[in-house]
Amino acid sequence: MFACIHAPELPADFSLPEFAYSFSPIVEEVRPGTVVIDVEGCELLFGSAYELANEVMQRAGKSRAQGGLETTVSVAIAGNPDATIHAATYLKGITFISPGEELTCLGDFRIDRLDYSLINVEGKVAEEVLETLKLWGIRSFADFAVLPVAGVSERLGQVGIKLQQLAAGKTERQLKVKQPAPVFANSIELGHALSELEPLSFIFARLLHQLCAALNAYALATNEVCVSMQLEDQTTHERRLSLPYPMRDHKVFLKLLLLDTEMHPPQAAVKSVSIACDPVKPRVLQNGLFVPLAPAPDKLELTLARLAKLVGEHNIGSPALLDTHRPDAFSIKRFTLQTDTGGRKRRKKNKQQVVSSNQQCLGFRMFRPPLRAIVEVDQGCPTQISAWSKQRSVYGKVVNLAGPWRTSGDWWRDDQWMRDEWDVTLERQGQQSLYRIYKEIDTEHWFVEGNYD
Amino acid sequence: MYVELHARSAFSFLEGASLPEELIAAGLELEMPAMALLDRDGVYGAPRFHLSAKRNGLKAHIGAEISVQRPASNSESSSVCSVPVLVRNRTGYQNLCRLITLMKLRVPKHAKPGECVATSDELAAHAAGLVCLTGGFDGPIATAINPRDTENTRKAQSTVEWLIELFGKKNVYAELQRHLDREEEARNHLVIEIARRNRLPLLATNGVCHAIAVRREVSDVFTCIRNHVKLESAGRLLAQNSERYLKSPAIMEKLFSDLPEAIANTTELSSRLKFTLEDLGYEFPKYPVPSGETMASFLRKRTEEGARWRYTGANGMPTYERARGQIERELTLIEKLKLEGYFLIVWDIVKFCREAGIIVQGRGSAANSAVCYSLAITAVDPIGMDLLFERFLSEERGEWPDIDLDLPSGDKREQAIQYVYERYGKLGAAMTANVITYRGRSAAREVGKVLDFDEETLSRLAALVHTWEWKDPKDSSERQFRDAGLDLNQPRIKKFFHLYQLVQDLPRHLGQHSGGMVICRGQLDSIVPLEPAAMPGRVVVQWDKEDCADLGLIKVDLLGLGMLAVIEDSMKLIRDSYGEEVELAHLPPNDPKVYEALQNADTIGMFQVESRAQMSCLPRLRPAKFYDIVVQVAIIRPGPIVGNMVHPYLKRRQGREVVTYAHPLLEPVLQRTLGVPLFQEQLLRMAMLCANFSGGEAEELRRAFGFKRSEARMKAIEIKLRQGLAANGITGKTQDDIVLSISSFALYGFPESHAASFAMIAYASAYLKCNYLAAFTAAILNNQPMGFYQPFTIIKDAQRHGLKVLPIDITCSDWLCTLEKQADSTLALRLGFRYVRGLSQQTGQAIVRERSIREFAGIDDLRNRVPELRKDELRKLAAVGALNFIQDTSRRDALWQVERVTRDAGELYEGLLEQDGNSPLQQMTLMERVDADFRGTGMTIGKHPVAYHRGELNKLNALRAIDLRKLRNGSFVRVAGWVIVRQRPGTAKGFMFLTLEDETGVSNIIVTPQLFDKYRLELVSNPFLLIEGALQNQDNVISVKASHVQPLSFAVTAAPSHDFH
Repeated sequence: MFACIHAPELPADFSLPEFAYSFSPIVEEVRPGTVVIDVEGCELLFGSAYELANEVMQRAGKSRAQGGLETTVSVAIAGNPDATIHAATYLKGITFISPGEELTCLGDFRIDRLDYSLINVEGKVAEEVLETLKLWGIRSFADFAVLPVAGVSERLGQVGIKLQQLAAGKTERQLKVKQPAPVFANSIELGHALSELEPLSFIFARLLHQLCAALNAYALATNEVCVSMQLEDQTTHERRLSLPYPMRDHKVFLKLLLLDTEMHPPQAAVKSVSIACDPVKPRVLQNGLFVPLAPAPDKLELTLARLAKLVGEHNIGSPALLDTHRPDAFSIKRFTLQTDTGGRKRRKKNKQQVVSSNQQCLGFRMFRPPLRAIVEVDQGCPTQISAWSKQRSVYGKVVNLAGPWRTSGDWWRDDQWMRDEWDVTLERQGQQSLYRIYKEIDTEHWFVEGNYD
Repeated sequence: MYVELHARSAFSFLEGASLPEELIAAGLELEMPAMALLDRDGVYGAPRFHLSAKRNGLKAHIGAEISVQRPASNSESSSVCSVPVLVRNRTGYQNLCRLITLMKLRVPKHAKPGECVATSDELAAHAAGLVCLTGGFDGPIATAINPRDTENTRKAQSTVEWLIELFGKKNVYAELQRHLDREEEARNHLVIEIARRNRLPLLATNGVCHAIAVRREVSDVFTCIRNHVKLESAGRLLAQNSERYLKSPAIMEKLFSDLPEAIANTTELSSRLKFTLEDLGYEFPKYPVPSGETMASFLRKRTEEGARWRYTGANGMPTYERARGQIERELTLIEKLKLEGYFLIVWDIVKFCREAGIIVQGRGSAANSAVCYSLAITAVDPIGMDLLFERFLSEERGEWPDIDLDLPSGDKREQAIQYVYERYGKLGAAMTANVITYRGRSAAREVGKVLDFDEETLSRLAALVHTWEWKDPKDSSERQFRDAGLDLNQPRIKKFFHLYQLVQDLPRHLGQHSGGMVICRGQLDSIVPLEPAAMPGRVVVQWDKEDCADLGLIKVDLLGLGMLAVIEDSMKLIRDSYGEEVELAHLPPNDPKVYEALQNADTIGMFQVESRAQMSCLPRLRPAKFYDIVVQVAIIRPGPIVGNMVHPYLKRRQGREVVTYAHPLLEPVLQRTLGVPLFQEQLLRMAMLCANFSGGEAEELRRAFGFKRSEARMKAIEIKLRQGLAANGITGKTQDDIVLSISSFALYGFPESHAASFAMIAYASAYLKCNYLAAFTAAILNNQPMGFYQPFTIIKDAQRHGLKVLPIDITCSDWLCTLEKQADSTLALRLGFRYVRGLSQQTGQAIVRERSIREFAGIDDLRNRVPELRKDELRKLAAVGALNFIQDTSRRDALWQVERVTRDAGELYEGLLEQDGNSPLQQMTLMERVDADFRGTGMTIGKHPVAYHRGELNKLNALRAIDLRKLRNGSFVRVAGWVIVRQRPGTAKGFMFLTLEDETGVSNIIVTPQLFDKYRLELVSNPFLLIEGALQNQDNVISVKASHVQPLSFAVTAAPSHDFH
């Protein structure tokens, strides 16, 4: 015998399969809010099938603390799992279907309620069959069930037969038993709130050790660890550690977490800690025989985390040029080790860009940040420039110039820009140097951007 | 002084951001004496550029940027570059057009970028008369060199040598552009070096892409659309700055202060470019006449023959003698304007159509010509109807006449088009183009995509564009955006709105005009470039209808008219089934049945008089003679409606208002229309009589107030009009009234000749419907979609008129609807397979073909002999009852059998096959049959779906449409029915009009704007409605002014209504 529990208004944070496990270990989750359980042999525990159904109904209405679902469910019991699903879905309360009486109970159901997903039929094919049934004037399960089997088989094939059996409540199948999913999350409630990192590190170590053991047990790893701390001021402090490669070394995780907590300390003492991760397949890497060894990924990650702690996490990574006319526009990408093929490609590209020996070429030394400058202008052209910073000073009379070179863009955004650049030769004490200066059109500020070697 | 010699317009399709007129306006403001337009691979914008320049006193140079595949040399691979060329003389222009035609016709319409290119040899063959520039960033030099290459000088030198070889040294200019770009300047240094070395003149240009700097935003948006990217990810595809705008001579002189000769050379080159589009060299082809004849003498003979045949003096027709004077006057003018060839060519097309059995009828202003009538080009007698010839042709106007020919839509029209191609050669005739512009939803969607709006927002933005013709004045942009949940103060939405407005009316791509053909004496490809149309076998010119007319290219419009096809098919059916011959030209005039039907507004299916508005006017106008139909066709138009002419005319016709004239001089002009101006010709005559305008001046007046309005032109002609009126003593309010009626009427007024041509077809359709209902209904069903009503309404109307309609039957239906003689010798209409939804024509015809060999023995036999029949098609035939007759079975039995015959049982079940074939299924109920009919054919020949619910409707006190006639004006009524038409016309100030149909006929519902706002959803989406309101019965025009709307749920899948957006 099978029982179907259908909870149409199941609260989001309740698990129906978990509720069902309290009645039988053989549970199939048909869809969210509907499960079928095998109740064969449960008589000793719960009494007759009707008593079992009553128990399910009563317990479902109880609170979470009492192991309930805090909602109303409908329950159907029959010798056929699919008949129980149809009955529980469309009939309220408890439905008990005696063997052989399936059609008496389900016969009046509209044919479009036939749940073909239960018998592994392709949706398109099943829809086509249902459309044909509609053309035939078949309105209910009973109408369909009484059609001659041979006639149905001739016209609708095996799919038709299966659907007809489904409508008659005569399918034969095993339950697709759902195993409880492994949990990769641990939490701990602290007796006293902790405000020091050192005692907290022991808590982290314990939780991470358990987490990595669970990952190990399933031969999995993770590339993101989520830490959530309940604080004394009733707020939650959450951090996510993103890793470049899947790992499961609890020592590395602990070091990374401690460094991160040092950089982003909680605002109040910690009352409880939860650590969770998303399991992924571990990384398997075979290094090449002739490829120089790169630092181990975990060590590199630790080094980067330490550097980030020193210089700030937004100031570490690899620069990447942006595809824009905006001068010197770049972004900071997370630093990753180049793979072998990438290295080869880069080398090739560099080779192509080598300047031939007989070509004149100027190197440009960029000032970062650019020097704010005071510029005297005559008829739109700079004539005298002076700019200072702690490191350098640039001033002199403009003896030669080229420009303006104008760029503008991002006109659809708030940070649109426009600037005029000039290449100027400055003369100071008889010596001439070549600089690039520019003016931001919106602020009218002048800057020295760098000099040509 | 500086002349911009390299500018692109929006006619470079997504590579330019300003219209030619905007470029000229900017040039005018900058006091530039001339300008050149070089669009990408075409001269699409040249006519508008030329005409705008001409109006503003600028000289318009023509050129193009030609995509050229450079030949590969030893050291360089072949590459595509853009060679800017300017036209020096007519030879150059002809060469340019031929070169572009050559490139375009070689590849399909939607060729990928880089596929449509000219070869170096082709360029060489067409270089005469052209001046070449070395180009900008995509020019021959720029594409040949590489910033890091040491060989640049050599490559640039070889490129220049190549250009000199092609165009000659005198015709190559070293082009310099300065967009404040470092890399470009480096290239300029190289160009200057090469120019000096080869003694080439330097030429400054600005490679203009937009008229003003802010249009750079549109240019960037177009770049994104072209490259299928968003603004955020477009990166360096976008412009580096906004410098590609039309710069003033002062700015250009400052930019090139180090190279003054580059500026000076622009005026020097401009003076060398003698060609303008004035010098197009277009000649209409001469008509080949027999030896010893001239075109004039040949035309005279054909006209005289025709006139003697037409003007017999019988049936109130003028006599030949009476017509001769007018014909002579027209022929003299035709000869003076050298238009004999044109008339003969149109006559030739008409002759071909008649010989091929294709109904053809001229429409438009050509119907004002007695020569056209004599040549059988038109069917309306302009002398008998006293039509104004000047509306068609006048000496002063200096424009080509416009003859539009209506042909049956479909294959017959294509046959006529192909005849013209064959007669004048593939390069001697082409269709005019139709420039598709960014408007409404397309603009909203594409701009929204570029700004990276999500799909949901895009849909909301696109939905903001009105679908109904009527626009509520309260609908400000802010309100529309707010209603759609979008905040115009939000920067991105604001930017969207700004860009959306900027791209409005900019060209998007080139389409094909529905029927306009241009014909040329020489090769048309030397007048305008030709390119392939999307439709196979068609070629289009790069200019639209207006451009062709503006440049004096004569076009012949071969337009498809569904009703002509209906008339043609009706005649064939009448011949085959009734055994009678009916000819369009010899229909009995003044058939009383026709006028009775018109007076009763019983006009469903009739040409031009079947609309809801026409129906509500007919019982008041009560047409009693042919001219009344002419008035009827013209009166329900925006002109008379906007000009408030309808009610005065109807009141005067009913004798409720005295016929008066604004001035005694107007009496002869307006007498026929009871003192109310209804036609454009009356406007012309009013100007001629009251303001002493000549015929040509009057036509000029009409044009000035017409579609292409120009404030200055209108003002000038109004002054002239007022002066003329004053000279005749018409002053004060009378003068104002006449000026107002002329000015408000010119835009929307309908030409009397056109109305008369349409009235002829309207009369013919009414005659056929009243006398040969079966044939007419079959023909109209066979030419769907067309007209105002769905096939279901046409069938129900025919059934109410006593026509028996037979169902689709596999044993006797054809693909088309046919007529069958009944036992009582009456004709019944048999529905054809074309009405089985989802059944292909090929399958339908295969069934007919097989059946003609041998009757089908059963469904198995049908399936075996027509292998084209797919399972779903067979099911559809069974569901609509088409298979019932094959074995005298029911629809469900047939459906049961169909599933068996379309599936192989396999060996296992072979022995289990049921022998009797009896179906265990229940028969369809009546409502199931109606539903299956609607689903399968969109119609039912049984009772009207509303009739099945009459019992329920009676309980709701809902009246039938026919019952409304018996009630008093002002009665409160309830009426229910199926919504067959929804309208919200622009002239109706927000009112909505519904037409409800039930088993007894149609009822008209008026919905006020307030009620529309209240019941918007119910009104626009529910197929069945119950309406409450006050009955209005004015002169037997019955309608219900709705005060409450209630949707009805009937279990029938109704066919969609005909909604006019």
